[in-house]
Parts: sequence; C-alpha cells; structure tokens
Amino acid sequence: MSEIKDRSPNQLMAFGIIGGLIGIYLTYLLPLLGEKIGGTIADIIVIIAPAAGALGAMCSVIWGADAVRRVAKYGLGTGVPSIGQIAMGMGIIAAMFGLAIVKTATIAGPIVALVTASVIGFIIGWFAQNVIKMKIPVMIRCMTEIAASGALIIIGFSAAVAGNFEFNNIITLVFDNGVMLAVFWVGAMAMLHPFNACLGPDERQKRLLYLAGSTGAITMAVIGIAAIMTLGTSGIFTFLLGVVLWFIFYKKFWDEVYNDAAAVVGTGLIPKTEA
Amino acid sequence: MVAIDPNLLYVLLIAISGTLICAAVHFIPVGGAPAAMAQATGIGTGTVELAAGSGLVGLITASYMYAYEPLASMALVMAAGAMGSMVMLASTMFAGSLVYAYGVAVPFASAQVKKDPITGQRQDTYISKGTQGQGIPTICFVSGVVGAGLGGAGGGLIYFSLMQIYTPLIAASAAAVAGVFTMGVFYVNSVIPSYGVGGTIEGVHDPKFRRVIGKDVFTSFAISLLCGIVAVFIAQGMMV
Repeated sequence: MSEIKDRSPNQLMAFGIIGGLIGIYLTYLLPLLGEKIGGTIADIIVIIAPAAGALGAMCSVIWGADAVRRVAKYGLGTGVPSIGQIAMGMGIIAAMFGLAIVKTATIAGPIVALVTASVIGFIIGWFAQNVIKMKIPVMIRCMTEIAASGALIIIGFSAAVAGNFEFNNIITLVFDNGVMLAVFWVGAMAMLHPFNACLGPDERQKRLLYLAGSTGAITMAVIGIAAIMTLGTSGIFTFLLGVVLWFIFYKKFWDEVYNDAAAVVGTGLIPKTEA
Repeated sequence: MVAIDPNLLYVLLIAISGTLICAAVHFIPVGGAPAAMAQATGIGTGTVELAAGSGLVGLITASYMYAYEPLASMALVMAAGAMGSMVMLASTMFAGSLVYAYGVAVPFASAQVKKDPITGQRQDTYISKGTQGQGIPTICFVSGVVGAGLGGAGGGLIYFSLMQIYTPLIAASAAAVAGVFTMGVFYVNSVIPSYGVGGTIEGVHDPKFRRVIGKDVFTSFAISLLCGIVAVFIAQGMMV
C-alpha cells in the first residue's frame, strides 16, 4: 500500500479556524451586502446567509474530529464519547461568554469566544496532564483545539438557526425553544463519531476526515430542520444543502472504505496459547 | 455575618457544586465495557454517561421544583435534584441487576474487598476466574445511590445559583440559559474525574477512590471556579 501523507495538525487547525470564522461572519456580512445591492439578489442573499454559519461549523467539525483522533489514539480509558462531551461542555460555556460579554460590539463575539474556549481548554488540558497525570503528550494542545472547535461548532450551528450571532437573538431563537440541546448533542456526535467509528489498527486520516465531513453535513441537515421552524425559507436551503453535502461526503467515505478494505491482509489464526 | 458580594458568593457556590459533581462520579460503580460483558463489577457503561444521565435527571427535578415554587430555598432545590438523581440511578442499577442475575446469571461479587462492608458476606470466592468481579453488590449499590444524590444536589445548586443571577436580567429566558450552562458545567465536571479514575471504579470501598479523589476534586474545584467567573461575566454582558 502506498504511503499517503496525512494532513498536518496545523493545516487542519488553520482550515477549522479560518473556515469556521469565515462561515460564521458571512451570516453577518452577507445580509449587509444584500442591503447594498438591493432587489431580488438581496432577497436570495439573505436567504442563503444562515447556511454559511453551518458550513463554517462543518469546517470546525472536521478540525475537531482530527483533534479527537490525535488525543483519543492514546486511549483515554473512558471511551471516545467522553472527549466529545467535554468539548461541547467547554465550547458552550465559552460561546455563551464570548457572545454575551461583547454587548453591542456583536462583531467581536465569535473571536472572543474562540479565545476564551482556547484558554479554558488549555487550563483543563494542563490540569489533566499535570494534576490528574494522564501522561498523554498531546493532551494540552488537543484539549485546547477541541475546546476551540467546540465553541465554533456551537456558534456556527446556532447562527444557522438564529440567522446571526447576536446574543439576545440566539437566546430567543436557539435557547428558549430548546434547539440548543440539538446543537449541543448533534454537534458532539458529529465531532466524536468519526474517530469512534474508524478507530483501530487500520485507521487512516483520509477516511476519518471524509466521515467527519459527512457527520458535519448531516448535522447541518438536522439544524436545517430546526431553522425551518425559526427562519422559514433559509432553513429549507440549509437542509437541502446539508443533505446534498452529506451524499457527497458519504460517497467519498464509502469509496475510501472500499479502497482500504482491499488492503487488509490476513494475519493468521489466533495463537493457541492461552493469554 | 460578614457581608459578602453576591457575585462572589455565586462563583463560590458554582465552584462547590462542580466539586460535588466531581466527587459524585467517584461514588458511582462504573464498569465500562468489561462490566457490559459481566467481567467487572459495576454498571456496564461509561463514567460520563452515568454521571451525566443521573445528574441531568436531577437537573430536571430541581428545575421543576424551582419552576413551581420560585421562592423555594436553596436546600429544597438541592434536595429535589438529589432525589431525582437517586431515583434515576437506583432504577438503572436495579434494572441492570435483573439482567446480570437472571439474564447473564452471575453472582454479584466485588473484586476490591474481601468482605462486603455492609452485608459482611465473603466476596472473593464468588468471583469467576479471569474477571474483576461481576454485577452490582450491595456496597456498590449504596455507594452509587449516595453518589447520585451528591451529583443531583450539585446540579440543583448550579441551577439555583444561575437562576438567581439571570432571572433579574432576562426573566423569561433565564431557565433555558441557566439549564444549558449547567449542562456545560456538568459535562466538564463529569469527564475530568472519569479521566482520573481511568474508566472503572467500584465505589467508595475501592482503593482507587482514596488514591484519585484528592487530585480530581482539586482540579474540579479550580475549573468550576473558572466556570463560575465566566457565568457572572455572562450576566454582566446581559446588562446592556
């Protein structure tokens, strides 16, 4: 089997942060752009804008799934799901803080949340490494990355449901009706499922990233259903785009599985001696 | 009594409740995947799932109490949370025990102690070869119920503190915001100790309990303190 080079953690981190932030900010900037243009195009732009938040969150899902992969490879002793849940726990605390603390300077919210999440993640990673003594060399870095991507996932999907990331708006459209629970859980699943499903001796990054893309896309579809309730037409667009992306990524994942399955070789029978 | 700044008080209360949740996880008999195959003592699922499952039920009962009796004292809300959690975990363990006893047909035995501290019965002779005990013996059951009570009380306490902070600012939405924030703190505080115990623990009688609880509680207190500070800052942000 030919060696395929893995994407480096830095590459994926840049992809997650930049992609995530661009997506989230587009939900804010596209309607402004629409106002300038006016006419039918403006209406269309306003309708597709919230979907950009979900696309941004998808980038962060891919980044987060790779960070989970790197840290969970060492064996956490508690299963992979635990790290997805702590990611969302840290992410939601940081996201609420970031969006609320900026008050009227809404535009700064996602960046403040990202920084806060990184700080919380770093502190938890430091404690896990030095006080609990988990002896996982990448713990601090990965915890920071996971928390940051968790915050971006929450803000991105919330923005897709609420139309923008203004805190009071998110409270009315995402918290009050309970959609936040779906964002929390489905987001956590999107992030932890890829490694949980792919782990093992023949685990490969490429396959995992395609699966992360597909879980991100299916989350986008779920969020689209929620957005139909809150935003109407925009939700339908988010839902359809999510389903189309899911088909694309799932097909890619499917092909990778076939590709890798062809390379699995026999290892012989289990040794006779009792372990 | 010395007058204390209410915000500081809430930060401390949130830190204490996070610590309660963290301590609670150590009491719950978690066996992980081996227990699911009846090869280790405890309930056959992960630490986080059990702690969060029982804790979130506690959160529901605590918020139910708060919703119908907004003037309820802190102790009442905490008691409601503890009650919900204890019922949830006790019924989980009971149903699990039925499966272990009548489905898998294993005798309940703890691998960590020679005699059950409560019933005084011999344990080691009942352990199957190559396993770490099976089922949920009496001590584990009692320890689990106590742990669930602590976790539920912790969840109720965070919810109560957050409601006190947020209700004056965003009356109608306070419950949703406080509930989601509590969930966040809950997950952080149930995952940290589960890393400490490394996946499996039998309960209060397990030697591991004494070995890890100190550092886990310290970690949890520090991180919950941070969460408490963040919670108060969120309230500052709401005052436009």
